[in-house]
Amino acid sequence: MIQAAQLTDVCFSYGKQEILVNVNASFDDSKFTVIIGKNGSGKSTLLRVIAGLLIPGNGLIHFFGKNLRDLSLSERAKTFGYLGQKHKAVFPFRVWQVVLTGRAGYVNYLPGKNDMEIAHKSLERMKILHLKDRNYSELSGGEQQLVMIARVLAQEPKILLLDEPSTHLDFSNQIRLMELLKSLTHENLAIVAVMHDPNLAFWFGDAFWFMRNKTLEQPGSDLKPWSADYLRTIYEQEFNTIPFEGKAMITPLMKKGLTQ
Amino acid sequence: MVTDKRNLAGVVYFLPVPVIMLSLLTGPSDTASIQNIIHYFYHYLKPEVHNESSEILTIGSILWDVRLPRILLAFMVGGALSVSGSGLQAVFRNPLVSPYVLGLSSGAAFGAAFALALGILPVQVSAFLFGLLAVLISYSAALKHQNISIVSLILSGVIVSGIFTALLTLVQFLSDPFRLQSIVHWTMGNFHHAGWNMLSSAILPMVAGIFILMLYRWRLNVIALGDDEARSSGIHPVREKIIILAAATLASSAAVSVAGIIGLYGLIIPHMVRMVFGPDHRRGMMMNFLIGGTFLLIIDDISRTVAGFEIPIGVITMLIGAPFFLFLLKKSNIGWEQ
Amino acid sequence: MMKSVQYLITALTGLALIWAVSCQQSGYRKQPGALTVTDFRGKVINFAEPPVKIICLIESALSGFYMLHAGNRIIGISSNVYEEPVYSYYAGLDDRIRNKTLPAPGNWDFISIENLVALRPDLVVIWASQTEAIQSLEGRGIPVYAVMLHSLNDIYKEIRDLGVLTGAMTRADSLINYTQHELDALYLKVKQAGLPRRSVYFMWPKGPLETSGTQSTVNELIELAGARNACMMPQEHIVVNIEKLIEWNPEVIVMWYDPVRNPEDILKIVGWERIEAIRKNHVFEIPSVFEGDLWTLKFVNTVKLLNHWCYPELTSAGEVETSKQKMLKSLYGDR
Repeated sequence: MIQAAQLTDVCFSYGKQEILVNVNASFDDSKFTVIIGKNGSGKSTLLRVIAGLLIPGNGLIHFFGKNLRDLSLSERAKTFGYLGQKHKAVFPFRVWQVVLTGRAGYVNYLPGKNDMEIAHKSLERMKILHLKDRNYSELSGGEQQLVMIARVLAQEPKILLLDEPSTHLDFSNQIRLMELLKSLTHENLAIVAVMHDPNLAFWFGDAFWFMRNKTLEQPGSDLKPWSADYLRTIYEQEFNTIPFEGKAMITPLMKKGLTQ
Repeated sequence: MVTDKRNLAGVVYFLPVPVIMLSLLTGPSDTASIQNIIHYFYHYLKPEVHNESSEILTIGSILWDVRLPRILLAFMVGGALSVSGSGLQAVFRNPLVSPYVLGLSSGAAFGAAFALALGILPVQVSAFLFGLLAVLISYSAALKHQNISIVSLILSGVIVSGIFTALLTLVQFLSDPFRLQSIVHWTMGNFHHAGWNMLSSAILPMVAGIFILMLYRWRLNVIALGDDEARSSGIHPVREKIIILAAATLASSAAVSVAGIIGLYGLIIPHMVRMVFGPDHRRGMMMNFLIGGTFLLIIDDISRTVAGFEIPIGVITMLIGAPFFLFLLKKSNIGWEQ
Repeated sequence: MMKSVQYLITALTGLALIWAVSCQQSGYRKQPGALTVTDFRGKVINFAEPPVKIICLIESALSGFYMLHAGNRIIGISSNVYEEPVYSYYAGLDDRIRNKTLPAPGNWDFISIENLVALRPDLVVIWASQTEAIQSLEGRGIPVYAVMLHSLNDIYKEIRDLGVLTGAMTRADSLINYTQHELDALYLKVKQAGLPRRSVYFMWPKGPLETSGTQSTVNELIELAGARNACMMPQEHIVVNIEKLIEWNPEVIVMWYDPVRNPEDILKIVGWERIEAIRKNHVFEIPSVFEGDLWTLKFVNTVKLLNHWCYPELTSAGEVETSKQKMLKSLYGDR
């Protein structure tokens, strides 16, 4: 089966400092894959390498069987949509104008009617059509996030690469976003998201990878990803687990005296 | 709200034509007064073979040989500077940027002084070449591993500007009063000697630069969002920046070579356009060209007629343009986020 | 549909513009003719007949026209002629100037193309340094005679050329002969006296340290007056170091006409007390620019002034005054 994305022996260093060493992983199509790990473990860097923003020192990256290196920029835009963490708005563009720029890979010089329609549809899918004419820079952090995701969707990619998509969102919006993303996977979209909240990940994700020792790993067949034993190795901390919906919820180990 | 902007845009589209017509009628010489000009057209349109009185000839000569090329030149220069300024502000994502940020004006001024002092090159050519050279130096100084950081580009621009300004001062210092006066005159900016020759020498690079910037106007929207965003949606940020930079430099260097330094024009007009029409470059570029051209033309008309001697256009631009800009600043959203 | 119409209009306008512009390029039309002069750029200018409508944007050359009795050919002058200190002189020479009816479409540093073209001149006389102005004039088919004076011989050439252009060649020759005669007479007088060459420091009004060196018109004047230039450096226009000035220790200081400073001010300059010219109170100012204009044949007057100041024993003030009056009469005629 052709994977949506496949990493083979990927290595990356910033100068002398090694960040990623021999990363091997594969991500399934139409599935919601989540990458979890401690802060500073290199998750964002990994995603940037996958998205082609950083060039790995070694290793291969394949999307649907094609080598990333062989894809031109516009082909890449049509294959995967990458959304990073920070975005600074400098111009007061309207929301629809921002989303329209996602079509850059398809447009020669000026976007046509078709591009406008796809941008429109993106807004609909993200359920933010009512924000269409608003000034992007005046939106809340969460609303802006939704707009940027809509923008990435306008690329009509086959796989989304999202770096911490739920930051800046309040709790209920986080849930809503995850539901939305999950529904997108039912429409033949693969999603690879880096997340820091394991619970949110486990509630909605289909497949899980963990960042440890500068590489990606999955727990062996004997351990579940949501088990306290496994998570101890990842976070180097003790947890409690509560069974939930076939998986489990992670809670802190409440020490005596903490709740008094 | 969107529709009345569209109406405003429509007005702007048609504005140049009447302004050009009116500009043909304005000027300092008494022979070409309004009545005489009407007389002239009357003559022209009547098919009988009249005695070509010298007055008619003079008026014809003034209208077509003196005023028309100057009008067209002023329009093109204004349009070129505004369009370049808009493109550069998008590429640099910085509101303080104008076509002069990379040392273009200092390089061109030095080039002109050099030509005026030594007389080996024609002034226009020298100004144009040194303007390009300054930008090239700024650019290569900021180039690191095939990547351009905006900050280093602006920094090197400042340094290169300083170098050429120092050289300019040196040339001025070593020149006799005659040449010094010519140099100072040139730097202040003027359309005194506009003619068909001057227009034809500068028009090609200006039109080429403007054309490319127009072509890329939607892509400027993408670039303006950020490098990562641009790249991930399928546009190569560095390549786009180079193209836009080159086009803007070509157009503005040609503009500066014929008009001298018209301060802050490429900074003010794009801001005004953005304040009124928003940041979308698809419409914004065309507005920049039309408004930039018309506005400079009006300013040149004023400089031609108001006083017996001609006030340098760079001075008038600042005196008229700046307060107007400040007025807009107070009234509306600056069109930029901090 | 609207979009493509817009594109079409834009493209057509652009093409029309470029086509119109390229059509209009006119060049300098060469007129074959009997009168030929070479101006100071080395450019050859031809006329079939002497030009009748001349615009002269150089005040000193304007003087030349009046000396040649060809002032009636002038239809335009430079605007500084209407300013003092020269205005009163020219008002005396030409009623049109007195009544301010003669147009002034430009100055020594700029021109108004429109006003100039409106006058339809046959010839424009202008400084060679105004390259852009010259380009735009010649581009419109207007002949230009460009002037750049570096030496006294250049003044002779200018007068001669203007004589050819106005058909007053004999008069030009006689003017030159008169001037040369005066210079020769002075030369003999100085030679016979056998006095050592006194050193003169020439001061421009821009500042006390601004002078001209050995390769300049000023230098020629000084030498003709029988003296020598205190400034040893070659440049035409130079700002010197005060130490150098003290080292040269000139015996006489001559100021070009300065509206701001007087010799008394120079005598008071701190640090200059040791200079011989200061000590002996030999600081003089050229009283009238017009009467001794270095760029015209009237430079003779300045030479004589210099001579008088350097060698008062040779030439008295009265002599200088008489010869000046005589000069003005000879050059200009009775007005």
